Amino acid sequence: MPRPQSNTITFSIDGREVQAPENMMLADAAKLGDIEIPVFCYEPKLGQPVGACRMCLVEIEGIPKLQTACSTAVKDGMVVHTRSERAVEAQRGVVEFLLINHPLDCPVCDKGGECPLQDITFGWGAGRSRFIEPKRHFRKPLELSPLIAIDRERCILCYRCVRFAQEISEDYQLILLERGGHSFVGTFDGHPYVAPFSGNIIELCPVGALTSRPYRFRARPWEIEGSGTVCTLCPAQCNVDLTVRDERVLRVLARQNDEVDDGWLCDKGRFAYQSVHVDERVTAPLIRDGGELREVSWERALSEAAGGLRRAGSKVAALAGGGATNEEGLLLARLVRDVLGSPDVDSRPTGAVALDDWRALAAPALAAKVSDLEFAHAVLVLDCEPLDDAPIIELRIRKGVRRQGVSLLLATDRPSALDPSARASLRFAPGRGAEFAGALAAAVRGGDVDAAAAGVSAEEVAALASVLRDAGEEVVILYGERLLDGGAGALLDLADALGLASCAGAGLIGIPEFANGRGLREAGAAAGVGPGLGEVAGGRHTSGIGAGLRGGELTALYLLGVDPFVDLPDRAGWEAALEHATTVIAHAGFLSDGLREHATVVFPAEAYPEKEGTVTHPDGRIQRLRPAIARQGEVRATWSILADLCRALGSDTAIATGAAASAALFEAVPMYSGLTLEELAGRGVRWVEREQATALPRPTAVPAPAPPRPAPASAGRSLVLGSYRSLWSAPEVAASPALAFLHPPQRVEISPHDARALDRGEGEEVLAVDESGAAVRAVVAVRDAVPAGRAILLAGLANDGANVLTGGSVELRDPPPPPEPEPAAEAVGEEIEEALV
Amino acid sequence: MSPTILLRDIDEPGLATLDVYERRGGYSSLRKALAMVPDAIVAEIDASGLRGRGGAGFPAGRKSAFLPKGDMDKYLVCNADESEPGTFKDRELMQKCPHMLIEGIVIAARGAGISRAFIYIRGEYEAQARILDAALAEARGAGYIGERILGSDFSLDVVLHRGAGAYICGEETGLLDSLEGKRGNPRLKPPFPALQGLYQGPTLINNVETLMTMPHIIEIGGAEYAKLGAPNSAGTKVVSVSGHVQRPGNYEVELGTPSREIIFDLAGGPPPGRRVKLWFPGGSSSPVLTEADLDIPYDFDSLAKAGTMLGSGAIIVVDDSTPVLDVALKVAKFYRHESCGKCTPCREGTNWTVRMLERIETGEATPMDLDIMASVQERIIGNCLCVLGDAMAMPISSMISKFREELEAHMLSRQLADVAA
Amino acid sequence: MSGVRRYKHGSRVPGWDSAADLDKAPATIPDPALVEVPVELREQIEAAMARYPERHSAALPALRAAQDRYGWCSPEAIEQVACVMRVTPAYLASVASFYDMFELAPAGRHSVYVCTNITCSLRGADELFAAIEDAVGDDPEIGVRGFECLGACDIAPMVSVDQVYYGPLELADAARLVEDLRAGREPIPELALALRPSADPGAASA
Ligand SMILES: Cc1cc2nc3c(=O)[nH]c(=O)nc-3n(C[C@H](O)[C@H](O)[C@H](O)COP(=O)(O)O)c2cc1C
Ligand code: SF4
Ligand code: FES
Repeated sequence: MPRPQSNTITFSIDGREVQAPENMMLADAAKLGDIEIPVFCYEPKLGQPVGACRMCLVEIEGIPKLQTACSTAVKDGMVVHTRSERAVEAQRGVVEFLLINHPLDCPVCDKGGECPLQDITFGWGAGRSRFIEPKRHFRKPLELSPLIAIDRERCILCYRCVRFAQEISEDYQLILLERGGHSFVGTFDGHPYVAPFSGNIIELCPVGALTSRPYRFRARPWEIEGSGTVCTLCPAQCNVDLTVRDERVLRVLARQNDEVDDGWLCDKGRFAYQSVHVDERVTAPLIRDGGELREVSWERALSEAAGGLRRAGSKVAALAGGGATNEEGLLLARLVRDVLGSPDVDSRPTGAVALDDWRALAAPALAAKVSDLEFAHAVLVLDCEPLDDAPIIELRIRKGVRRQGVSLLLATDRPSALDPSARASLRFAPGRGAEFAGALAAAVRGGDVDAAAAGVSAEEVAALASVLRDAGEEVVILYGERLLDGGAGALLDLADALGLASCAGAGLIGIPEFANGRGLREAGAAAGVGPGLGEVAGGRHTSGIGAGLRGGELTALYLLGVDPFVDLPDRAGWEAALEHATTVIAHAGFLSDGLREHATVVFPAEAYPEKEGTVTHPDGRIQRLRPAIARQGEVRATWSILADLCRALGSDTAIATGAAASAALFEAVPMYSGLTLEELAGRGVRWVEREQATALPRPTAVPAPAPPRPAPASAGRSLVLGSYRSLWSAPEVAASPALAFLHPPQRVEISPHDARALDRGEGEEVLAVDESGAAVRAVVAVRDAVPAGRAILLAGLANDGANVLTGGSVELRDPPPPPEPEPAAEAVGEEIEEALV
Repeated sequence: MSPTILLRDIDEPGLATLDVYERRGGYSSLRKALAMVPDAIVAEIDASGLRGRGGAGFPAGRKSAFLPKGDMDKYLVCNADESEPGTFKDRELMQKCPHMLIEGIVIAARGAGISRAFIYIRGEYEAQARILDAALAEARGAGYIGERILGSDFSLDVVLHRGAGAYICGEETGLLDSLEGKRGNPRLKPPFPALQGLYQGPTLINNVETLMTMPHIIEIGGAEYAKLGAPNSAGTKVVSVSGHVQRPGNYEVELGTPSREIIFDLAGGPPPGRRVKLWFPGGSSSPVLTEADLDIPYDFDSLAKAGTMLGSGAIIVVDDSTPVLDVALKVAKFYRHESCGKCTPCREGTNWTVRMLERIETGEATPMDLDIMASVQERIIGNCLCVLGDAMAMPISSMISKFREELEAHMLSRQLADVAA
Repeated sequence: MSGVRRYKHGSRVPGWDSAADLDKAPATIPDPALVEVPVELREQIEAAMARYPERHSAALPALRAAQDRYGWCSPEAIEQVACVMRVTPAYLASVASFYDMFELAPAGRHSVYVCTNITCSLRGADELFAAIEDAVGDDPEIGVRGFECLGACDIAPMVSVDQVYYGPLELADAARLVEDLRAGREPIPELALALRPSADPGAASA
């Protein structure tokens, strides 16, 4: 689809000749001539201007009425006056009108000092008001949600926040109620505004009407510093600006990068900073001593770890995940492979993917970038839920559909939040993304389609294929890397059938399970994958590592940001594996019960605001993390711990600084070679666009589609089990007092049909029991969009996660009487209250 | 006697039914129009000089010609929101002669190559909505609307859409948002509805009376119609006369008729012993005139020259028994109530004006407040998103300037009364 | 909810002072599995959606259908409409509260709109409004609201009773109107607008 581009024109503004792209809005074009036109309602990120506040009125020669600069496109030869008598009179008028009902309580307002209303009043107001009647007063501040407070006296009805809810997040929960001067921002029937992206309205509000409850009264703008880095809580890797005071993160703001996040953040990214500063966080090294973990000195912890590793030697295996950086991945792989002589490193939660597959998938010709999602003819979301897996990408998809008319197709194993925006949606059997991709490829080629293994009908596949073919050639496939459990061949075949490699703007974007999955792999921390997707000898993948530990072929496990009890399938298997291991070393910020019980050494993990290094975005953009605060407590840099361990085990990496670790990475990964941290600057660099991309090794053979696995089937009263990880199932969410309310309890989603057939109702507590007898307690959620015969449970929970179950189907049974009430629950509640005050 | 076109025999029993309407020659203009090429229809309307009867007085033929040609989803919207205080002509026309509106709609749609039409009728007009619905059903049954109208290749679907009580939905872009199922907030213009209107498609919006005039124009020809009326104000106009007159009601007059004739000869003038103090010539949005202005010819240009406007064609007469302040307050409160709230000057300016007027009423104001109030009106006029703000500011301005003495006297007397107390 | 505050003029006093109830779940698009919608209402809403190229256009007719059924746009009614239309209840609440004719609080069986705009007030509407309010007293079955110009200034001062227009009223008609309503009769029938001939000399059939 054509992307915006335009000619340069010259116009005159307040006597200056200014060059600007044709059709740029005057409010923006003026800035190119260093002239500021005041605006309130105008925010280009929100889409078309609405011209509501009338703050930007200017005089344009040849047009009798004053015009709103926010909605007037510049044309060649236009003559604009922003300070003519008429313009000034109108601007003063608008400021005066806006202040009529504004309380002017700036001294007690969080926005004070960074408030557009304050600035514009100062710059464009008349300096006095002739309004002498009493102002209106309301109760304030009021809760709009647990995260956001609203002060309706201050609201200037600029529409920004409600436009966000309507046109960006499309959640349509925040609305204007009533009409005229009675209009106010609110929700339906007093429901809270709780939605995955709600916090953005705080940043959008040009006055102090919408404020962050966790941030309220924490600081004044002149006491704080801003510090740019990258959020690594999920693969979307949004660019953020951290507000810091006294080495504490007080707030997270978006740092707009149009190629990454468009200037938005999800609420996890915005509020989970609280978890950096909570007491539960591990901030000192621990070792197991007499069955209990206890704090020790770094020397002690390091030597304990080194000793354990030395004893295990080549029987060590390592898993990397979470927010681990590329540098950490590189050093981990060196430690395990080069120093200890074990091939067993991985960074995927499940099965094996062949090196050739990775190479083929990384081919620059197949690489789509985030902004391609916005301008493609069609976007196929395949086996992932953008909202949960990389939330900001979801907003980009919505933007493309809304503004560019992108055809959105969804092929997933469970209902998607994007369903209402999709031209076509289809549900395949849980875990059968690869089989579906194979069937779709066949349908696109016009061949015979057998989709039974994917659990869908051939007609459904053919219908989707025809929408896809008709949409146009620029197709972006956004897939979940979990699909690769069935091999990459089918997906590559689909890409080939669609001709993605030969079409600019078309391609693949794979969402890994871990935030930096792609970077870890490219740094060489993946099974059978060396730095730069180079050749290495063998190596078990994650589930093989579990088996190896259980079978005694492996004796030590090194966990870098991975908690097997939460992050990996087959919880019981991992429990046995860790039970067998003699040494379990974990970098962890928070301890699950499992880790608490099984880790022998715990290194306090850095939170991302403390980290330096690089990460690689799913679209190949290498981004730089910069520390914004000092490491809390005893926390040390992860790269330095890995370097220390290498040294203790007899191999000096000669890496003494974070920058040196990055340099080592750029040297080790041929596609990254020649990069510098400076070059990465604030925006990052996509390696697939660099000359050095040619250093990516080619696959030795074209990966062929794997034979399809039969679709899981339900029998009798059992339901086929599907699972997913919610955006909110993260330890950082659970640990952040303000966000904890979003951390989901386990629930089982079933169709209305099954609810009737099984006589289970919404909200009922049940026990989901699989063929092996493993069981999870869950609350029934009846959902119209769930296909009949399915039960969908949450993964990624600390205790009752879907990874407790190993079978392919579950039955819903009556639960045993509830366990003893946990006395801690209430205390947590109180804490939240306190944190919110 | 001026010719009667729209109101002729309008009280004939059963005129609202297809039978009687057809018997009177109804739908013959449609047959004629279907035999014409679409451009010729627009040309006739253009030649008639017909100007929009909804308020803005835009030439109807030109508006229709703005719509892009070619095959695409285009829409016609009949504006039957009629909410301008003092206006009740569309109500009577739709209630008594609904088929003439339907005929006009089909003709206008045919001219502009439109295949989907909506009638947006204000929610309060329930009786009229029922009558229109019945008439639409009859017309559909008789093949005047629907697929392949009267065997031609022209099809038109007409849907009646009821509003729910909001004056701003009479403003054409507010109407479009409302019709799309949203709050009736006006949109930024450009883009104009003719290019990007309903559902983003090109949209022709016309008032009920405008559309109802079209069958007659097709019948007699544009040039013939143009002979009626005054220069630049062709034809007849149904004028709603109300307030302090003895025979309030709708009167159809040739444009250019002296206003005095309408107010006195037709509507009977103020009650015996009373004099005209002020009058709104075009609904409550028009700047007021006084007794001295009664001889102004009632047409677009003459009223514009007098600093006011013909608007929706609604004359409200206020006699000398009523203080101007009461009128100003009613006007200001109405616009405050109806402001959609989207743009600042209108939302805040209407409220501020009411508050100042209330202060004058209670005697807590000084003549300086009149200057502030006048300046507030200046800051509203021309600076709003749509002209609802202006619709308050213009009459209020006119009342301040024309009745300043009375307003000042009122303040003084209240203050004296306070001192005495 | 029952004691909704209204200005004397008739418009609701808005809920500026109310916070969100943090115990409630966020109001997303209602899941059809969880909301029961009476068949007849569902059919009305679906028919309305089918009339337009875009389903959102059915918001006003759908809300009106719900209000006709339940007497007011209760939160439950809005949820049902939202469920059929596949929009959030907030979307509909925002729309409904923009328009004067939607009742967002329980309303009586009868609605009486008294026009208090310019023309009617020149002819005694304010006194009439007060008289009708007096006659109704605190009868919850009859809702009386002052209303902006109803487009019937020719019969000023006028009222719209259950959406039927009557006028011109004398002060004395106030009590009779309320009596008629309470007795279940058509109120002041001889004043119905429908009976009124046009004022124009050309109107009467020759
Ligand atoms: C605040 C406001 C209210 C209006 N109300 C009406 C109305 O009730 N009926 C109407 O026909 N036009 C109304 N108009 C004028 C319309 O915007 C539009 O100009 C008209 O419908 C065009 O039709 P016409 O060209 O046939 O007059 C209103 C305009 C404004 C600014
Ligand atoms: S709350 Fe803020 S963002 Fe929302 S309308 Fe009011 S001023 Fe604008
Ligand atoms: S910034 Fe232009 S109208 Fe608000």
